[in-house]
Amino acid sequence: MRHAISDTKAFPWLLLLPALALVFAVIIYPTLSGIDLSFRQMRLNRMDLGQGYVGLRHYLALWDDPIFWIAAQNTLVWVVGTVILELAFGMIIAVALDYELPGFRFMSVIILLPWFLPLVVAGNLWALMLDSRLGIINAALQGLGVIEGYKAWFADPNWALPAAIMVETWHGFPFFGLLLLAGLKGIPHELYEAASVDGAGFWRRFIHIQLPGLRIIIVATVVLRSISLMNSPELLLILTGGGPGRSTQVLSLYAFQKAYREFNFGYAGALSVVMFVILMTCSWLYVRYSNALRAD
Amino acid sequence: MRRSLLERATIYLIATTFTFFAAFPVLWALNISLKSERDVLVHHLDLIPNPATLTNYIAIWTQSNLPDLMWNSAVTTFFTVAICMVAGTMAAYSLSRMQFRGRQNVLLFFLILRMFPVVLMIIPLFIIMRQAGLLDTRIGLALAYTAFLLPIFIWMMKGFFDAIPMELEEAARIDGCTRFGAMVRIVLPLVQGGLWACAVFIGIAAWNEYLFALMLTTSSGSRTWPVGLQLMVGEFQLPWGALTAGGILSILPVLALFAIVQRSMVRGLAQGAVKG
Repeated sequence: MRHAISDTKAFPWLLLLPALALVFAVIIYPTLSGIDLSFRQMRLNRMDLGQGYVGLRHYLALWDDPIFWIAAQNTLVWVVGTVILELAFGMIIAVALDYELPGFRFMSVIILLPWFLPLVVAGNLWALMLDSRLGIINAALQGLGVIEGYKAWFADPNWALPAAIMVETWHGFPFFGLLLLAGLKGIPHELYEAASVDGAGFWRRFIHIQLPGLRIIIVATVVLRSISLMNSPELLLILTGGGPGRSTQVLSLYAFQKAYREFNFGYAGALSVVMFVILMTCSWLYVRYSNALRAD
Repeated sequence: MRRSLLERATIYLIATTFTFFAAFPVLWALNISLKSERDVLVHHLDLIPNPATLTNYIAIWTQSNLPDLMWNSAVTTFFTVAICMVAGTMAAYSLSRMQFRGRQNVLLFFLILRMFPVVLMIIPLFIIMRQAGLLDTRIGLALAYTAFLLPIFIWMMKGFFDAIPMELEEAARIDGCTRFGAMVRIVLPLVQGGLWACAVFIGIAAWNEYLFALMLTTSSGSRTWPVGLQLMVGEFQLPWGALTAGGILSILPVLALFAIVQRSMVRGLAQGAVKG
């Protein structure tokens, strides 16, 4: 056998090198330097202040920042509300599509579509449908007698966040549907047969076979989706910019605006570090919990 | 399994409702985009545009910089996919096929990367890109996208590699192939379908991305279409007809690619996620 570089011990690492190098340059190094930044003075528009270390000043300021607490509360509502709705919609559609009736292949492709649409388009599609003058949803709700006149959903502090949650749910429920459906396909047929011999109906089948079978996937999708929702301010940036007032302000959006509008990078860094700690705690719980699930 | 007629009817009703829910906003935008400016205001509730007109499409294409924006997006997407396919395929092959110390840790590392908060790194990344002269360039943006999409690309590709029997490669190596030769000549052709599916998935993600593009591009020379379109909405109070036409044009490439590879892409996604 010839001896080539590809037969040496270092070869696996050589293959990994480009990917690892990129990830270190674009993710790891910036993350570390972001953590460092959170302990510094760093304002792009006030470079005269220098870039010295200010210790925990940003963190202490955060503690006293009322907007931070509002944003934290909104984040909780935003993430939990969206994930619950998406999981519910995803579960219903996965169980339905698992019947594999004629036409369901085509339907599953259509249902998957929102997940692949850009948030810029998704956001504006719904802004159009919820428009206070031309919105079809306003027209439909008025026609049904639910509302009296056309409503400016994103201008109403009580409705802006629920409306945004609805839009994000439309965008994200196919993700749950797809993965839960894949999980349902993995449940052995014998279990269903045994259940039907016992005369189990739809609900008992769902509670005793499907739900336990999907346990690991439910945990995985909920964690992954919560992380991405917490991380991404895009949709709220497009729809409301945090308003009206602070009613749709979430942590990721607040950090982004601190950096992008006020150029206060140090403070934005501290905000992101707090998010990072929350996310890492969640992921750690997830890894531990999913290992425990797999063990039994 | 026996299923009553009532049960099947209910299931059909549910599936149809969700299909309608998923498709309606897109169809509605298509409807609005085909109406004249006057009809958008006066006959906005009509389900079918009458008369249908392409004026909005012509207007947004000729009177805005949408073509430039889409070209920038296309170039950025191309670089992203190209770098991902080379670096990601190599990494996925290594993680799927080779035994070495630290393999499990590398896999876990790529998984955890997905949990890093974007906002935390976007600020330093802005500074780094500026120092490296990559700020406001398409290649700089593509490098950022690549790093972010590599973990998911690698996990998906690893699934496709895992599905190919080891024996094929071993046979080739006994015949005198080097490891690298076996990878290129035997394994790669077999995972081709999966590779294209992963590439399309990455491509769609890069084409759609908004936040990084907003932060890392500042001029029309590298600005991508999501940022540009949103700017038009904010600054010029784009009328709905033109906006929906722009939106439909921008998602056409996504729809086309999605239609072509949806089957294998869905399989890859599901595999990667279930195992991960």
